[in-house]
Amino acid sequence: MIVDFQLSEEQQLIEDSISGLLAERLPVERLRETGSHFGAAEHRLLPAFAELGLFGLAVPEAQGGIGLGIAEEALAAKALGRHLASPSLLAQMVAPHLAEDNEERATLIAGASSAAFANRLAPTGVQLFDAGSATRIVLLDDGARLIATPASAESVDGLDEAVAMARGDDDYPAGSRNMIADRISLLFAAYLAGIAQATLEMAVAYAGTREQFGQPIGAFQAIKHQCADMAVRAAAAEAQVLQAAITFGAGGDDRAEAAAARLLATDAALANAKANIQIHGGMGFTAECDAHLFLKRAHLIAALGSSKRAEQARLLGSEAA
Amino acid sequence: MKVISSPELDIFRAGCRDWLADNVPRGPLPMEGQALREFDLAWQRRQYEGGWAGVAWPKDYGGRGLSVLEQLVWLQEYARAGAPQSRSMFVALSHAGPTLIVQGSEAHKQRHLPPILRGEENWCQGFSEPGAGSDLASLKCRAVIDGDSLVVTGTKIWTTYGHLADWQELLVRTDPDLPRHKGISWVICDMKSPGIDIRPIKTMSGIAHFAQVFYDEVRIPLTNVVGGLNNGWRVAMTTLGFERGTGTVAHQIELASTVDELIGIARTSGAIDDGAVASDLATLKAEVMALRSLTAMSVSRGMHEAVPGAEGNIVALYFGELTRRVHAAAIDLLGPAALERRGGHDWAMRYFESYKWAIGGGTSEIRRNTIGERVLGLPKGPVAR
Repeated sequence: MIVDFQLSEEQQLIEDSISGLLAERLPVERLRETGSHFGAAEHRLLPAFAELGLFGLAVPEAQGGIGLGIAEEALAAKALGRHLASPSLLAQMVAPHLAEDNEERATLIAGASSAAFANRLAPTGVQLFDAGSATRIVLLDDGARLIATPASAESVDGLDEAVAMARGDDDYPAGSRNMIADRISLLFAAYLAGIAQATLEMAVAYAGTREQFGQPIGAFQAIKHQCADMAVRAAAAEAQVLQAAITFGAGGDDRAEAAAARLLATDAALANAKANIQIHGGMGFTAECDAHLFLKRAHLIAALGSSKRAEQARLLGSEAA
Repeated sequence: MKVISSPELDIFRAGCRDWLADNVPRGPLPMEGQALREFDLAWQRRQYEGGWAGVAWPKDYGGRGLSVLEQLVWLQEYARAGAPQSRSMFVALSHAGPTLIVQGSEAHKQRHLPPILRGEENWCQGFSEPGAGSDLASLKCRAVIDGDSLVVTGTKIWTTYGHLADWQELLVRTDPDLPRHKGISWVICDMKSPGIDIRPIKTMSGIAHFAQVFYDEVRIPLTNVVGGLNNGWRVAMTTLGFERGTGTVAHQIELASTVDELIGIARTSGAIDDGAVASDLATLKAEVMALRSLTAMSVSRGMHEAVPGAEGNIVALYFGELTRRVHAAAIDLLGPAALERRGGHDWAMRYFESYKWAIGGGTSEIRRNTIGERVLGLPKGPVAR
């Protein structure tokens, strides 16, 4: 298969408009204020994102969407990752694909009802993420399905303090792998590739300006080579995410391609977030530097849905039937 | 972003596949010496006669004049068919030829490009010196102008297949008084010239791919200078640019099948039931897939930019490091069985050979410098100024 990675005019327009809105309304600095945590700003912006078509990008036109594909969704998800947007925006992109009927789909695409992710825990219970205003839940395990908001959930402090977490004790049967779950893996991968890219840029900007021993620290190979390795990881993750997204449904092994994308992007996001903290030195360890926000979000996205073990098994073609 | 497909490309691919199925040589290849050279040239000639040489080279010089898309399809099918690596034809096909296409005079192109495609001449590279490896611009091999000739004295090292080559792309210092990047020229050297002495160097894999070449007042016509006197650094960077893009596509596809081979071995032996082994193999599998995607992205960029940029270093660094890890994993997986040599292209040989990819054409460390400085825009270090 031969793949053209060049953005079409339409794809460029989508990327520019979504990135533009994110840069203006959801800059990463917003998360320094707790008032912007828990997806509050994102929830207010649902109509604006709906206006740009974010929630119906890959939904067929006959079902009220824009009729593009998963490549365009991946572009958008990567932009969301760069800005550490609430995972609920990803859930809102995914939910229309799982909707029971066109009526439900339409309200999700319009942002009139809102979705959030939950992990199904074993042996029982669910973990909800930024689900305070959600009316529909995308329940994740190895598979993915749309459920109603659990009757009761108790809020808990999360590893990523910018994302609201809650625990519910409802019992759901285990889901099985489906095509939507592969697409969700791919969107998580795109979001994580966005984190890998953002942390690379943040580290390079700092290494180019912070001076010690009379020169920018980026002139030292100990720092420069870390930045180069960050660039390689970010590029590999991005390339695999886009390759998997562009070729999805074109006759390749979509499941394995998505699994590879998720594994690589998870590694790239975590490794780059760690390197970014290290390159920022003492500042990197503080709460006022944004570096920790990327690390925490990378851990959170890495732990949503399918486990690393399961993704690896899919890649080796040795998953349980 | 889209999958590129057209009936024309499908027909082209089917044509590649059919021809390769009927023509790819089977059985063990000669691994050394004149037999290796004769084999490589004959295989090149067969591709030429079949109409598959120089897919993207200009028609005027014997190529097919097609786009980089057809070139990539050809390379994919070539690797899939298990066709032999170009080996002693590699420099001619992937460095010297493309450099002459971009930088050579009409006479250079007429003289060399058609014979390369016909498998009538092969090339080697004369860049590195004992004192000029990573710091290539410090090279000292001298060339003094005498009438209408250059007179070359000095030595070159790591010249792959130097003892089997007809021609050499040679970097010499033509003006020691100019700044170090400015006084270098790129010349076409006839390896049969009087005054050339070639000594093969045995590598850690036990094979003498390499040579050191000594030049004692070797006369080279001034007309063999490519791209202008003292302009060789710029010409050489063009050459290295080709190496940093798609020059390793065939090796990459081979690496991907090596990983599949390892997964098969682990499945047969039951080693894959060990979670750590499965995890390592899955990681390698994901990485060879990403390598393919990175290269596809680089090719895609190449369709929109004429000369490859420093980004090619990202692909090359990823490939070099991954190749070593894949083969180290093989030795680990095979355990005691890997300790017994089986001759030919056995796992030990493949493992030893894998070391070269993170050294040759730019070490991983130099590539990290280049990525840091030329891709990311970080300041130069104190020694690299």
